[in-house]
Amino acid sequence: MAGKIRRLVLDTLKPLELSIVDMARQLSELEGVGAVNISIVEIDHKVENAKITIEGEDIKHKVVFKFLEDQGASIHSIDEVVAGRTIIDDAATLQD
Amino acid sequence: MPIFIPNLPFRKWFKTAREYSTIADIGEIGRRYFAMNAFDGVLTIMGVLMGNMGAKVTSPHIVLTTGFSTCIAMGISGLWGSYLTESAERKRDLDELGSQTLTNLKDSKLGRASRYAVVVIAIIDGLSPFLAALLVLIPFFMAGAFPSIQWAYFTSLGVALLALFGLGVFLGNISRENLILSGIKTILAGILAILIGILLGHV
Repeated sequence: MAGKIRRLVLDTLKPLELSIVDMARQLSELEGVGAVNISIVEIDHKVENAKITIEGEDIKHKVVFKFLEDQGASIHSIDEVVAGRTIIDDAATLQD
Repeated sequence: MPIFIPNLPFRKWFKTAREYSTIADIGEIGRRYFAMNAFDGVLTIMGVLMGNMGAKVTSPHIVLTTGFSTCIAMGISGLWGSYLTESAERKRDLDELGSQTLTNLKDSKLGRASRYAVVVIAIIDGLSPFLAALLVLIPFFMAGAFPSIQWAYFTSLGVALLALFGLGVFLGNISRENLILSGIKTILAGILAILIGILLGHV
């Protein structure tokens, strides 16, 4: 059985017209999603850069991607993924 | 303030329609088109009435035929014209936005909202002059109840001025200015049309 994704951090670009309130609400209703945080990083003329953090018991990443695509947002990069039985943050190293 | 939506089979549809309306900003554009085209409709039909009056048309049937065909032509013109212009403008906006997000937005929620907006605005644009002009023609539908055709003409022109005043109040309400003053401004356009009509009738 494949491991379960528990956290997903996405860097997205979305049109200004799309409300992040509705977007967060609808994302939180997706299967396996427990909580959603959308933070606006930068606002441009017609688009804005939104960082989307999703946590849950079993996030279906393809469903999330499909949802964002359907909304009209584009995913720039997947900045963080946490999978497994618990949530683990990146460990501090001597180089940090 | 959140609007309460009863739990009906249409609930989901209403919710989507409201969301699309917010995304595509239908409210403001729809209001603008409604006021502009209803104003057009009333003034055009006033012109038709003044023309008929000047030409001393005494048959309500002729007034209704010319008036009603004018209403239909205005309705079709509004519907067609705004469908073509809105869809062209919105498609360009969507393509421009898509080039910024580097995605094809045609099948996204934005694309759907945009297509929905085009249809709603075209309907508003078509119906508003049609209905406004039809309202002015109502006295001619019951022309038999008036002592003479002149009464129908004057009642129709009265209804037209009232409709113009109502539109002025509607616009004044949007701009939050003095409602009476705003109503008088729109009535003045109607009075001007009547005066020019009278002058033409004497030529």
